[in-house]
Amino acid sequence: MTIVRRVVGGLAMPLGSVVFAFVVGGLIVAATGGNPFSAYAGLVCGGFGIGCTQGENPALQISNTIVFLTPLITTGVAVALPFRAGLFNIGAEGQLLAGSMACTAIGIKFSSLPTPILLPMVLLGGMVAGALWAGVAGVLKATVGAHEVVTTIMMNYIAQWLLRYLIIGGPLQLAAGTSKSLPIGPGARLATLLPSDNSLIVFGLPASVYRVHSGLFIAIVAAAVFAFLLWRTTLGYEIRAVGQSQRAARYAGVSVRRTIIVTMLIAGAFSGLAGAIQIAGVDHNLTDKYFSDTTGFDAIAVALLGLGSAVGIVLASLLFGALHAGGSVMQSDAGISSNLVLVLQALILFSIAANFLGAIRQLIPGLRRQAGAPPPETPAAALMTEAAAASEPGSQAT
Amino acid sequence: MTGLSDILHLLYTANLWQAALAAAVLLLLPALGGVISERSGVVNIAMEGMMLTGAFFGVVADLAWHNPWLATGVAILAGGLMALVHAVVSIRFHADQIVSGIAINIFAAGITVFLVNRIYGIQDVGHATQSELLPNFNVPGLDQLPFLGQVLFQQNVVVYAALILLVLVHIVLFRTRLGLRIRAVGEHPQAADTAGINVYLIRYGAVVTSGFLSGLAGAFLAIGVSNTFVPNMTDGRGYIALAAMIFGKWTPFGAFVACLIFGLGQAIYDNNSIIHVSPYLLSMLPYILTLVVLAGLVGRSSPPAADGIPYVPGSE
Amino acid sequence: MGQTRLRLLGLVAVALMLAAACGGTSSNTSTKQFKIGLVTDIGGLNDKSFNHLADVGLLKAVTDFNVKGDVKESKTGDDYIPNLTNFASTGYDLVIGVGFLMQEAVGTVSGQFPNVHFAIIDGSGTDAAGNDLKHANVASLFFREQDAGAMVGVISGMLEKQGKLKNNKGVISAVGGVSIPPVNHYIAGYKWAATMEDPGIKVLVGYSNDFTDPAKCKGVAQQQIQGNSDVVFQVAGGCGLGALQAAGQAGVKSIGVDADQKDADPSVIASALKKVDVATYTAIKSVVNGQFAAGALTFDIQNDGAGYQVDNFTLPADILAEVTKIHDEIKAGTLTPPADIPA
Repeated sequence: MTIVRRVVGGLAMPLGSVVFAFVVGGLIVAATGGNPFSAYAGLVCGGFGIGCTQGENPALQISNTIVFLTPLITTGVAVALPFRAGLFNIGAEGQLLAGSMACTAIGIKFSSLPTPILLPMVLLGGMVAGALWAGVAGVLKATVGAHEVVTTIMMNYIAQWLLRYLIIGGPLQLAAGTSKSLPIGPGARLATLLPSDNSLIVFGLPASVYRVHSGLFIAIVAAAVFAFLLWRTTLGYEIRAVGQSQRAARYAGVSVRRTIIVTMLIAGAFSGLAGAIQIAGVDHNLTDKYFSDTTGFDAIAVALLGLGSAVGIVLASLLFGALHAGGSVMQSDAGISSNLVLVLQALILFSIAANFLGAIRQLIPGLRRQAGAPPPETPAAALMTEAAAASEPGSQAT
Repeated sequence: MTGLSDILHLLYTANLWQAALAAAVLLLLPALGGVISERSGVVNIAMEGMMLTGAFFGVVADLAWHNPWLATGVAILAGGLMALVHAVVSIRFHADQIVSGIAINIFAAGITVFLVNRIYGIQDVGHATQSELLPNFNVPGLDQLPFLGQVLFQQNVVVYAALILLVLVHIVLFRTRLGLRIRAVGEHPQAADTAGINVYLIRYGAVVTSGFLSGLAGAFLAIGVSNTFVPNMTDGRGYIALAAMIFGKWTPFGAFVACLIFGLGQAIYDNNSIIHVSPYLLSMLPYILTLVVLAGLVGRSSPPAADGIPYVPGSE
Repeated sequence: MGQTRLRLLGLVAVALMLAAACGGTSSNTSTKQFKIGLVTDIGGLNDKSFNHLADVGLLKAVTDFNVKGDVKESKTGDDYIPNLTNFASTGYDLVIGVGFLMQEAVGTVSGQFPNVHFAIIDGSGTDAAGNDLKHANVASLFFREQDAGAMVGVISGMLEKQGKLKNNKGVISAVGGVSIPPVNHYIAGYKWAATMEDPGIKVLVGYSNDFTDPAKCKGVAQQQIQGNSDVVFQVAGGCGLGALQAAGQAGVKSIGVDADQKDADPSVIASALKKVDVATYTAIKSVVNGQFAAGALTFDIQNDGAGYQVDNFTLPADILAEVTKIHDEIKAGTLTPPADIPA
């Protein structure tokens, strides 16, 4: 029973924040001459397939949401794990791109191999590439103390330009005049849940429109691995110890340097996996759209909204995926620019961060609850101070 | 090798450095804002959003009133207003400052385009005429100096303003009592409070100032360098400024050096019509260079001790 | 919550009534209301370029015909397929994808919905390897941007040859967004025509690698002008506005792209037009009239789907004569500007 209460309590703040965001967002819509109710009806229809008025297919909407949320889970984990160690990985995007590039290169090079061999190869290749990409930041942090915010931002840009180089004029370019790569071999692809068949009708539409793929399960397993790693292993203990206080961790015999490097490598592997899954499960080739991809940045919001826990990240991914999918339905059904979604996301984050609800609750006597209160110090808040601790004399000694 | 010699040749031209300085200033202003904010103990990664907001409202005001100075004032205020939100959320509500910063950036990206759609529909936002732009100004006499004249004294008014602000911020932070207070609040807020310094006031002031500077950068981008608003036109400059600030170890001149590296990279890239290197590889150059410099020369960057920690009186 | 639910019920009721009303009249094709869905690429509606023009064409069709037009803006490339599918699965008669980057998405979705008409600007419905799938429900709307580029190339080449421009060193230039076919076609025609008019001319070609940041294009243009360029041709959407401005501030001439950009800067002497609005409108009209034809439809000088517009400038008589002559020759098919940038 206490578990139920904890879950309900843990959900209270995020849910309240969502409500707060929708109220404020609704006011913004109304103030600019729109109808917030029809806007939100479109959003809910697009995200969850509920209450659709224009004949949208609920199953299709839900499937779109799932496709959107899948990479958010893994990249969200890739941001949340370093947070626990007091590191701000702003480079999940670059690591995702590294993963997608490696996955594509391997999937093309060995396109004739069968699935049991090639699929693990492309996924592992993506993880290794992502790990290396993040590892640069980890090693620079652990050795010369270069701040990971700078290095991961630099690695993001390097990945973006490398991507364009590879597909425009570079070795992965499909043909002159294109800005994409060859498709990866059939053996490198993740299976979709329903057969990719245009003639099979499921829920009133061709089965191939439901793009949900087995990457979803990989992402959920990744979230579980994250939770297990963090709370059930020595490494997880070390990561949290380093995040709490590098000095104390050092006294406890934890190698801070090694922990920083390993944390970044693992985080990068998660992000790289997200990139590989997108290629193997959704796109099957590398295109210029990856240049303007923002998954790795959305992941920061997801990790923060999920309060750094595996369940929280999955739920936050669900919300962001639904908002993403809902935005375009809202636009065509209610005529409200889908950019409202960004405004809502920001308001949710504000509300979570500032605990407006807590402030409101304090104003109303009789409404007391402990469980909904935020942890005394969220991981991200401790971040920059821990970086400071790293610079103290003696931190090199480990 | 022709690519390399092309670049080396460019480095001897005043023209390249003139462009590099202008590009650097677009990063320097938000970076200075970041320095001030974080020196007072408030993490600020929201320069991107503040700059974008400034750019948008600067253009709206300029097109409405046809006065670039007034419009710049509006842009500065708009940036400051976004910063005020960040300040209230992170100082009054003790919020996680990174979350709040990310939220500002997302909010700005969303609200500007949302408002473009709402205000202008599908009509073009419009273009400021030459007289509605922040002007270029050649400093009489000095602009005739060989090489340096073109680089330093044939620039936009905002460039001069930014260079003056650079020196000013340095002096204020490190040579005045106000600066001492700001730094004290950022290092040891409890001690500062005990010594009678109003921690909240200093932090509010510092954060809002960072918004002013980012807003000014937005105005320079939208109605100085360009003459219109394009969605997401800041193009990640706030994040580069963030990197520059950390690279420069939270000092104005350190940040300026980093901004110059990026500005120079941009200016070199601008010559891709005549440099025979893949433009994509060329684009990578400043980022790789930054990593190399970080690894080899700069190394450890440490923020102010209380950076990112909400101040709660009586704690500790 | 209760209120929202009531509201939803109300909406459902209204929708049902509307559906009933439409159902009653749908047997009569002349009064059938057609539903047209437009999916922008990541540039969005305010891109001051082809997404914007596509919307202009849609709005014109909405006023001219009995059609309902809806838009979905793609925030990322991951939105292409869901947005197209959404329209296709909710009874839209024609779904229009804007942009080269949407080719695969249109190829995929058009295969899933053979009874829905699709049109794609700047491309065809392809598979992952870039092969045109030639679905019977897809109209591929191509543009010969090189035709438009050639017209402004003639103007630029002749102006430079006559030595009436500022630097007068025989150099003109183009600022492209990203090196992709729709951009390079323009530049190909431009360079080809300018070289035809003035064989000794040097045409600088640079890329900003950006479509949204005017400062980037301005920088590239400024360096070209420093290299003595007298005419700057922007082929970079919203980013390119900075190139026009750079030309104006340096006292040289500039050329706009896609739409008529004479308002963007006084230095704009001409614009190379790619009439995406005409293409969108034409596709909608064909569906409304029951004359939808699958396959490639090319918009060029011949059918007035591409062309040029003289802006803040009066062409001297000799240049006007030459421009008209080349225009006619391209129209007659005796001259064909190349699609690839000549060496």
